[in-house]
Amino acid sequence: MSTRQAVASITVRSTVRITLLAAFGLLWIALPFWFLVVNSFKTEGDASVLSLAWPSTWNVVDNYRTVLEDGGYLRGLVNSLWIAIPTLAAVLILGSMAAWVYARSNARSLKFAYYASILSVLIPPAIIPTIFVLQELGLNGTRSGYMLTLAGTRMGIVIFLVTGFIRAIPPHIEEAAFIDGASRFGVYRYIVLPMVKPALFVAAVLLSINTWNDFFMSLYLLPEPERATLPVALFQFASATEYTFRWNLVFAHVILTNIPLLLMYVVFQRRVMSGLTEGAVTG
Amino acid sequence: MNIQTDNRPGTDVEPPPQATPASPQSWSSDLGATLRRLSWGPWGRIGFVVPGLILIILFFVLPFTFGSIFAFVDWTSYREELRWAGFDNFRLIGELGVLSHAVKVTAIFAFAVMVIQNFVSLSLAVALQKSSKINSVFRTLFFIPVLMSPLAAGYIWSAILRPEGPLNQLISIVVPGEFDYAWLGHETSALLSVAAIESWKWSGLVTLVYIAGLNGVPTSVLEAAKIDGASAWQRFWRVKFPLMAPAFTFNVVVSLVGSLSAFDVIMSTTNGGPGNATSVLNVALYQQYSQGFFGTSSAISLVVTLLVLCTAVPLVAWLRRREVSM
Repeated sequence: MSTRQAVASITVRSTVRITLLAAFGLLWIALPFWFLVVNSFKTEGDASVLSLAWPSTWNVVDNYRTVLEDGGYLRGLVNSLWIAIPTLAAVLILGSMAAWVYARSNARSLKFAYYASILSVLIPPAIIPTIFVLQELGLNGTRSGYMLTLAGTRMGIVIFLVTGFIRAIPPHIEEAAFIDGASRFGVYRYIVLPMVKPALFVAAVLLSINTWNDFFMSLYLLPEPERATLPVALFQFASATEYTFRWNLVFAHVILTNIPLLLMYVVFQRRVMSGLTEGAVTG
Repeated sequence: MNIQTDNRPGTDVEPPPQATPASPQSWSSDLGATLRRLSWGPWGRIGFVVPGLILIILFFVLPFTFGSIFAFVDWTSYREELRWAGFDNFRLIGELGVLSHAVKVTAIFAFAVMVIQNFVSLSLAVALQKSSKINSVFRTLFFIPVLMSPLAAGYIWSAILRPEGPLNQLISIVVPGEFDYAWLGHETSALLSVAAIESWKWSGLVTLVYIAGLNGVPTSVLEAAKIDGASAWQRFWRVKFPLMAPAFTFNVVVSLVGSLSAFDVIMSTTNGGPGNATSVLNVALYQQYSQGFFGTSSAISLVVTLLVLCTAVPLVAWLRRREVSM
């Protein structure tokens, strides 16, 4: 009898928990996204009512075509991909190379370099002097200048995560490989790199969210429309009609701007979730 | 041996391994050190560090150093030459009322984000801690806003929060009468609303960090507490919460420090308004910059940096001291 009561109370409790979660999920996630998607399908007049209702007139093709043609979307997409992919690759490779040395050394000079790198995770980038440095290098307003700046300010997170990860692993395998005559780069390429994959994956997830959505630095460093990344293109498109937001078009642009990351998430969802919950962030 | 070698990398010679005298006691550490020195050499290490370090020096350390100088330089787009200005930039933005107001708004914003984000995420983490099919569906769902660009999140929510928008439509169903409060139109509610939007955007990630922290609490300790008759409430606050302190430290620091440099969400919702009620430091910085006042914007940038350092360092020290070591 008491066992049955206990079982019943557990079932009741889990039903209550799931109902509460579902209600919260509905208000917190589902309704905002429903609102976003459904209004991107409406005509301008329909969308200005800002309701959750089904569209009375479907205007999908027109809205999305306007965004693709007038919203600078395709140009923004090409710019964003052109910038994000090489930057991400460079940051992950150069960051993990440095992290290996930092993790396996006690030299004071290297410790100093390590802490300087870690500090860049905490301290926000000083944007005006960055423009000055880029001007001196002749790179201000160029994609490569922006990419180098992104790399320099984002590498700290890779170094932080990977150094912590390597320190937890004894150096025996690397030493054995050195005894067998492997070169430094060979050990990095065939032993260290495969070993740190979990930490690099977490870093890659955080960095792709961070670089794809970067608006602050790209607004300062790439303000010209031809070179604008997607967030800046979205901002310029939405601000073009300051006082009468055409919500249907703004929402269509919002969806198209975020769709690449959301698609990646659909593909890697399980690995992203397990990678982040295994505590790689807290170290 | 190892440390000694490392301190003088320039003097390293690469002797053959047999040349190392191997006394029986220190044999293994000597061999390890020799091997390391052999394999790295003085330049090998540097070759691995330098490419990344150059980028960090050029685009983080150098701007950081210059920034501290530019804050004291009279530099506008209206004049060619730069002039030493002492504290004039700070005095100028101080007299305009920009500085103290922006610092106050930023501090309130950051504190509100920290409270909302950690409250929502900790509650979600407790509800979703166990790995089950339904929980992983919820975790996946609550993570979606993390992927959204903060700018986009701002556009979505500024529509939702409009007087005629869906939030007030929903409230009107529950509350009798027409409810048409302008959430982003009043000073206090605008500031709290943008803080809530910022929290909405990040709480999925914070939740995962808390789940990792909760999963790190050993079950044996929890079972012992249960046998001793501790209630679920006591088990959470007296056992789990102290033992997951590193996750709490991390989340509090990251949410506070991150929102001290908030920009995107505010640009796409209120643009600093109404009036300048949501004009945080980075928004004020952009306003100064777009008017061509580079000296004063450098001064604001330096204030952001100082604010971050003055928040993070004591906070980490204080929270670390409260952490229980296992």
